[in-house]
Amino acid sequence: MEVTRIRALRGPNLWSHHTAMQAVVACDAAECDVAELAGFETRLRQRFPEISAFQPIGQQGQVPVARVLELAALGLQAQAGCPVTFSCTKPTLEVGVFQVVVEYSEEAVGRMAMDLAAQLCASARAATAFDVQAALHQLRDLDEEVRLGPSTGSVVSAALARQIPYSRMTEGSMVRFGWGRKQRRIQAAEIDATSAIAEAIAQDKELSKKLLHAAGVPVPLGRSVRHADDAWQAAQEIGLPVVVKPLDGNQGKGVTVNIQDEAALRAAYAVAAGFRDHVLVERYMPGNDFRLLVVGERLVAAARRDPPSVAGDGVHTVAQLVERVNQDPRRGDGHATSLTKIRFDEIALACLRKQGFDADSVPDKGQRVNLRNNANLSTGGSATDVTDDVHPEVAARAVAAAQMVGLHICGVDMVCETILRPLEEQGGGVVEVNAAPGLRMHLNPSFGKGRAVGEAIISSLFKPGHNGRIPVVAVTGTNGKTTTVRLISHLLAAQGWCVGMTNTDGVYVGGHCIDTGDCSGPKSARNVLHHPDVDAAVLETARGGVLREGLAFDYCDVAVVTNVGTGDHLGLNYITTVDELAVLKRVIVQNVAPKGMAVLNAADPVVAAMAAKCKGDVTFFALDQFNPVMATHRAQGRPVVFVENGQIVAAKGAHKHYLELKDIPVTHGGAIGFQVENVMASVAAVWALGLDWATLRAGLASFRPDQDNAAGRFNVFDYRGATVIADYGHNPDAMVALVNAVKAMPASRRSVVISGAGDRRDEDIRQITEVLGAAFEEVVMYEDQCQRGRSDGEVMALLREGLAGATVTTRQHEIYGEFLAIDTAMDALQAGELCLILVDQVEAALAHIARKVQAG
Amino acid sequence: MPQARTPGPQPVIGENTGGTTNHGGAPYGPSYCMTQQKTIEIVRVTHLRGPNIWTYRPVIEAWVDIGSLEDHPSNTLPGFVERLSAWLPSLVEHECSPGVRGGFLQRLYEGTWAAHILEHVCLELQNLAGMRTGFGKARETSQRGVYKIAFRTRQPDVGERALHLGRGLVLAAIHNTAFDVAAAVAELQEMVDDLCLGPSTAHIVDAATARHIPHIRLTAGNLVQLGYGSAQRRIWTAETDQTSAIAEEIASDKDMTKRMLQACGVPVPHGVLVGSAAEAWDAAQSIGTPVVIKPYDGNHGRGVSLDLESRTDIEAAYALAHAQGSGQVIVEQFIRGNEHRLLVVGHQVAAAARGTTLYVTGDGVSTMNALIDQQINNDPRRGRAESFPLNVVELHDSPEVILELERVGLKPDSVPEAGRQVLIQRNGNVAFDVSAEIHPSVAHAAALAARVVGLDIAGVDMVLENCALPLLAQRGAVIEVNASPGLLAHIKPANGSGQPVGKAIISHLFSSSHSGRIPVVGVTGSQNTGRIARLIAWLVHISGKHVGLACSEGLYLDSRRVDASDSTHRDAGERILINRTVEAAVFENPCATILGEGLAYDKCDVGVVTDIGWSEGLAHFDILDAEQCFKVTRTQIDVVLPSGTAVINAADAQARELADLCDGAVIFYALDPANPILLQHRAQGHKTVFLRDDAVVLASATQDIVLLRLPHLKPAKAAQPEMVMAAVAAAWALGITPELIAAGLRTFESNPQKSPY
Repeated sequence: MEVTRIRALRGPNLWSHHTAMQAVVACDAAECDVAELAGFETRLRQRFPEISAFQPIGQQGQVPVARVLELAALGLQAQAGCPVTFSCTKPTLEVGVFQVVVEYSEEAVGRMAMDLAAQLCASARAATAFDVQAALHQLRDLDEEVRLGPSTGSVVSAALARQIPYSRMTEGSMVRFGWGRKQRRIQAAEIDATSAIAEAIAQDKELSKKLLHAAGVPVPLGRSVRHADDAWQAAQEIGLPVVVKPLDGNQGKGVTVNIQDEAALRAAYAVAAGFRDHVLVERYMPGNDFRLLVVGERLVAAARRDPPSVAGDGVHTVAQLVERVNQDPRRGDGHATSLTKIRFDEIALACLRKQGFDADSVPDKGQRVNLRNNANLSTGGSATDVTDDVHPEVAARAVAAAQMVGLHICGVDMVCETILRPLEEQGGGVVEVNAAPGLRMHLNPSFGKGRAVGEAIISSLFKPGHNGRIPVVAVTGTNGKTTTVRLISHLLAAQGWCVGMTNTDGVYVGGHCIDTGDCSGPKSARNVLHHPDVDAAVLETARGGVLREGLAFDYCDVAVVTNVGTGDHLGLNYITTVDELAVLKRVIVQNVAPKGMAVLNAADPVVAAMAAKCKGDVTFFALDQFNPVMATHRAQGRPVVFVENGQIVAAKGAHKHYLELKDIPVTHGGAIGFQVENVMASVAAVWALGLDWATLRAGLASFRPDQDNAAGRFNVFDYRGATVIADYGHNPDAMVALVNAVKAMPASRRSVVISGAGDRRDEDIRQITEVLGAAFEEVVMYEDQCQRGRSDGEVMALLREGLAGATVTTRQHEIYGEFLAIDTAMDALQAGELCLILVDQVEAALAHIARKVQAG
Repeated sequence: MPQARTPGPQPVIGENTGGTTNHGGAPYGPSYCMTQQKTIEIVRVTHLRGPNIWTYRPVIEAWVDIGSLEDHPSNTLPGFVERLSAWLPSLVEHECSPGVRGGFLQRLYEGTWAAHILEHVCLELQNLAGMRTGFGKARETSQRGVYKIAFRTRQPDVGERALHLGRGLVLAAIHNTAFDVAAAVAELQEMVDDLCLGPSTAHIVDAATARHIPHIRLTAGNLVQLGYGSAQRRIWTAETDQTSAIAEEIASDKDMTKRMLQACGVPVPHGVLVGSAAEAWDAAQSIGTPVVIKPYDGNHGRGVSLDLESRTDIEAAYALAHAQGSGQVIVEQFIRGNEHRLLVVGHQVAAAARGTTLYVTGDGVSTMNALIDQQINNDPRRGRAESFPLNVVELHDSPEVILELERVGLKPDSVPEAGRQVLIQRNGNVAFDVSAEIHPSVAHAAALAARVVGLDIAGVDMVLENCALPLLAQRGAVIEVNASPGLLAHIKPANGSGQPVGKAIISHLFSSSHSGRIPVVGVTGSQNTGRIARLIAWLVHISGKHVGLACSEGLYLDSRRVDASDSTHRDAGERILINRTVEAAVFENPCATILGEGLAYDKCDVGVVTDIGWSEGLAHFDILDAEQCFKVTRTQIDVVLPSGTAVINAADAQARELADLCDGAVIFYALDPANPILLQHRAQGHKTVFLRDDAVVLASATQDIVLLRLPHLKPAKAAQPEMVMAAVAAAWALGITPELIAAGLRTFESNPQKSPY
C-alpha cells in the first residue's frame, strides 16, 4: 500500500463540512480486498481491537486496505480523545487507487494518525509488532500540546455556539474571532481592547492599590520597603500581623502571610527579596482567599480558594498522606484538571515546620495540616465555586476594581471571612487584581458548579445578535466568474464599503491590489477575511483550492455559480467528468448559510440541479424568462432574475425591480449575452445582501467594460473608428459566448487574433478555431514561447486543423509572437470593422493594445 | 505664560512676571534675627500642588528668614551682583518687574532683598537643569525679615533641592566664598532626568495643556492621566489606554508581524529564522543575497548587520546577532535604501523621520577613531544625553560598526589612505524629519501596518530609497512595527523644526469638542460649606450622574460614604478625580486647604463662595485678617472656567469684588430679595437666587421660577435657607432642571441612616 498526496482540508470541502486529512492510497491487487490477505483482519483487530466494522466499498463487497487505513486513522484519533466522526474512502478511475478522507480536530494529530494507521496496517500485514497504547499516548500528548488550552477553548466553544467564526493566530492561545473589520482578538483570558497600560497597572501592586483606594474599594494598607530594617519599620507602622510579598510577582511566589513577629518578618523579607528587588509590606487580612472574575461590567464567577492540606489519620506520615491525596485521579500535573497534585517541596516543608511538623510526622486523626500558605491551584490548592453567594456590595467592589484599573477581564483577589457580607463590615479587602486570569477554577472548579465564563467573554466582545461576520460572496463557474466577482465587488463598493476581492488576477482590498497572480484559492480568501479594513468579501472560488485545502470559510452568505457548461481543465485531480466537476463547484452552494442565498444559472442544467443541495434560499437567473426551472421557481414566489423587453427583471412574488439594459454599459445595451448573464448573477447576489436598488443602478451604470474593471474580460477599445475587443477567453464555451457577442455587434468585417494554450486537450484547441471559423472573415493565429509542454508548431497545427472547414473565414495568417499578431490584425483594420483579440499574456498584451490605441 | 495676579495689599518685593512692585521699605518692628551673621534661614517649605494664592500652577512656597540681610539689600553687598551674574549669566533673561530683558539685574543694581534674589536663583537653577519654568514671587510677611517666596516647579523634590542649592549659592555670592554652580546644576539635572516626566511624555502633556486638558501624574514614572474622572484617558509615554496589550505582543513578535503584514499586502522583506551559522548561509542563498542578519528580539539596532553577500560576512554577522537578545537569529532579504521611521497615530501618519548613512574620508594620517571624532562627532547635534538628536559614534561601543570596518579591512586604529571614503553606519539615528515628503502610498502602507497589528500608536520602520516616491515602484518594505515608539526623533529632529506629534496624540484621544473634563464644583467659605457640597452632590446624583464628593463630612461616591474622616484635603480630592466612574465631582475647599496644599483641580465649572470668613486658624499661614483672607478665597473664583459659573453670596461685603474676578458667569444668591448687589445683577439680566415669601426663587432674564417653599422641607434644611440657595444655584448653573432640583431638595437626607445590608 502506498499513501501519497496527504493533504489537510482546512475548511468545508468536497467530502464534508469537517476539517479532514485526504490522501491518495494505491493498493496492490491483493490489498484490494482484505479477505484475500490471510489473517490480516485478525491480526489487525488483535493490535487495535477498538477499530470499527469494515464496511465494503462498491458492489463487489470488497474491503480494500485503504478502507482499513481510513477506519484506523479515525479510530486512533477517537480513542485518543479527539472529537472526530467522519471518514470515507472513494475509488478512483485507476484500479486499486483510492481517495481516503479522515476527519481531524487538530491537523498535526490528524497527520500523525494517518501515519500511525499506515504503520498499523503494515504491521498487521507483515505480522510485526505494533504498540497501540504507545501510539495513543503519542497522539494524546500531541493533541494536548497543540490544541487550545481549557481557558481559550471555553471562549472558542462559546463563539462557535454563537456562529462566530474563529481562527488561531499562533500555536499558543491567540485567537481571532470574526472577519474583516468586525474581527476581535483574544489571548487566553485577555481581550484586544485591554490596554497594555491596564495590565501594567495590575502588575504594579502599589499603583493598583492607590487606584482601588480611590475607587472606594477596601485594600490592605502598606508600602514598599527597601531593606529588612525598613520592612520591620513598615510592619510596625501598619500594625502586625502583616504580609510580605514581591512588588510584581505572580502565582504567589515569594509571598509570606500572617507574619506576627520580627524574626518571621525578616525571614519573609529574605524570601520575597529573592524574587524581586522591590518588596511590599501590607496589613494582613485574615480570612479566606476568594477569586472573583469580572468580565466587562459584570461579576461572572467567584471561587473560594483553599490551600492544599491533608487530614491526619494517626497512622500515616505527612509525606504518605500527601502521596495518598495525590493519587486522586482528579489531581493532574498541569492546568487541564480541576485539581493539581500537591507539591511537596521546600516551601511545603517550611510550611510544615511552622506548624511543628516535618515530612515524617504522624498527625493525629482528624488533625488538619496545611502544605502551603497560599491557595493557588497550581501548587495543589482547591477551588470551590461560590458565585451564587456573592453579596451585591462585594460584587460591586470587584467590578469597581476592574474598571478602575481598566481591565475587561479581571481576576480580583479578595480576602475576607465570608463573601456573603460586605467587605467593609468584616475588614476584608481586595489584595490583588489580575490581568489574564486563569479560568480553570471557574470552568471546572474542584467543588461546585462550573460557570459559563467563555460565554461571558464572547458577550463582552460581540453584542447580542452580532456574530463578527462580514457578508461573504463566493463565486464559481466555468466562465464569467472573474467579471461577476468584479461586478459584485463594484456594486458593494458603491455603497461605501471596503470590499475585499479575490480572483484569478489578484487580491484587492478597497481598490488596492495587495497581491497578484491567481488568487482564487483559500489562502488569498483567508487574507481578505482577516484584513482589518474589509467590510465585505467577494471571493472567486476556483476548483484547485477547494480540492487542495477546502474552503476558507465555514459558511458564505451568497454562493454564485455562473455556469458549468462542458467544463474546463477536465482530467486533473480525479475530476474527469462534468458531473464530478459539478460536485466540486457545488461545494460553495452546500456551504451557504441557512439564511443565505445561492445564485444559480437556471439555463445550465448542471448548475440548476445544485439548488437541491443548498441549505439557504436560491435565486435562479436566466436570459429566457420562460426557462422552466426558473418559471417554476418564480411561481413558488421565490426570487428570480431574467430579461424582458430590454430590461433585467428581478422578481420575487409580486415584487419586481427593473434595470434598463441600455443603462448597463458592460452589456453594450444587452448585445453581449454572456455579460447580461454576468450582470444578472451579480444583481441577484447583491439583491440577496439587501443592497438598495438606487445604489445598484448607479453601480451598474458606472461599471465600465474597460481594463480598469476587468482586465482581459471583453475590454472594448475604439481604434481608428474600428472596434477592438480584447478577451482572455480560453475554452470552447467561452469562445461560443464571445462569438455570439461579437456577432451581435455591428461590423463591416470581423477579424480575430488567436493562439491555443498548450495544456488543453487536442480536441479543445481544434474546437476553438472551428467556432471562430464560422464567424470571422480573417483569422490571425500565433504561437509564442509559452507552449506549456508542447513542441513548436504543434499548437499552430491544431489551430489550422480547426479552420479546415471554416464557412466564413477567407484569410488566415500564422505568426510567431503575440505582439506581432496583434499588430498584424490591428494595422489592417478599417473604420467600421471589428477585431477580437484573444490575449494570452493578459497584462502585457493589454498594455500593448492600449499603447496602440492611444497612438491612434 | 504664567498667570500673574495683580498684587494684593501686602507689599510685594519682587515678581518676575511684570506686575508693578514696590518695596515697603519701612521695617516693621525689631528684627527677630539676633545674629550678625548674614544668613538665610529656610523656615517652612510647602509644595502647593494645585491652584493657590500665588498662581494656577503648582509652586514651592518657602518661608525664609533673611535676618540681618534685611538691612543689606543687594546694592550694599560689595561685589555681590557681579559674582551672582557671573555665576548665573542667564539671569539677564529675567525681566522681573521692569518687564524687559535685564530687568532683574537692574533690580539687583538698584538694590533688592535676599529672599527675592533667592526666588530668581531657584528659578534659574531649575531652568539650567532643563526644567523650564517662569513664575516666581516674593512677599514680606508680618515678621520683619521673614518672606514668603513662591516659585513654579514641575517636580517638588527638584524644586525643594533647587531652593537649598539656591540658598547656598546666594550666600556664597554674598560672602564671596566658592560655589560650584556646575555641580549644583548637574545635580539638579540628574534629578530632573530621574523624577520629571520623560521628554516624550512631557511633550504630550504640553499638547494636552494647550488644549486645556488637565492632567494628573499617577506614578513617579511616565503614567499620566489626562482629563478627570470618567472623561479621563491614560498615557504612558507613547502608549495610550487604547493601545492593546495583545497588539503589543504581536508587534514584539517580528515573525508573526511580518506574516500578518504580508497577508494584508504590506510589503515586507522575505526572511527565515535560523539556528546556526551554516543555516544562515543556506537561508541567505535561498532568499538571495544581499541579506540582513539580526537578532529575533533585539532592539536599537544592536547586533544587526546589513547588505551581506559573502559566506564569511554572513557567518560573522550570525555570531554577532546570536550574542544579542535570546540568541534566535533572522536572515532577511536586504532592502536597499534608508531606514525611515513613520509615526502612526490613530489611522494616520503623524510624522516621519529618515536615517542617514555616515561616512568618513581618510586623510592618510588620522586613525579611524580620530576621523570619526573629526568628521562625525564634531557635529554639535551629537551628544551622549537623550536630549541630543544624534548620538556620538564610539567604536569601542559599536560592534556593528567595527564589523562594518572589518569587512573593508580596517580596525579602529587603522589609518585609511587620503581620500578613501569609509562607510561607518548605514542607518545611524533616524532623526531627519521628512514628514512633509511622504508619498501617500508610503503613508497608506504604514497606517495599514499599524492597523493590521492593532496598534493605535505605532512606529513603523520602513526601508525606502526615497519616501517621496510610490512604495511599490521602489521596492520599499516595512521591516518592523514598534509599540510605544520614541517621539524624540520627531519632536526634536536633527534638521528643521519638530512635528506636533503630541497634538496628534491628543487629537487621537480627545475629539475636538472634548477637553477631558467632567463637571467640577468647588465650595469655599465658612458657612455650612460641607453640607452645601453634600447637597450639591446629591442634586447632581439624582440628575443621573455618578458623583464623587470630598468634604468635611467625608468622602462619598454617590450616596456611599467611602471614608468618614474630614476629606477636605487634596489627597481626597485626587481620589475623586482619578476615579474612572466619577462623572461629576464636588469639593469643599476651606481656606486652610487652599493655603496649605492648593486646590485639587485646575479649573472648575462652578465655584461657590458663601462668605469670606477669616478664622483664627489661618494665622498659621500668616493670614491675619479678612482682607488677606479675600486673596485666599478668590482662588476658588479665579479657577472658574469661562464656560462656568461663580455662585456668590451677595450678602458678603466683597461679593461684587469677587464676581469681577470671574472668567465665567455669576449667580448671586441672597436671603434678602432687596439686596442691592442682587438687584443690580438681576437688572443686568443675570441669574440670581433669593427668598421671596419663604420660597426659593430662581430668577433669570426671562422668568422667575418659584422652586419650592421652605416649609415644605425638613427643619434641618428649612432652617438653613442660605445653604439651600447656594446649593440650588450651583445645581442650576450645572443645568439641572428646577423640577429635579426641587425633588432633590425634598429627598436629601441631612443625616442618612446607615443602609441595612
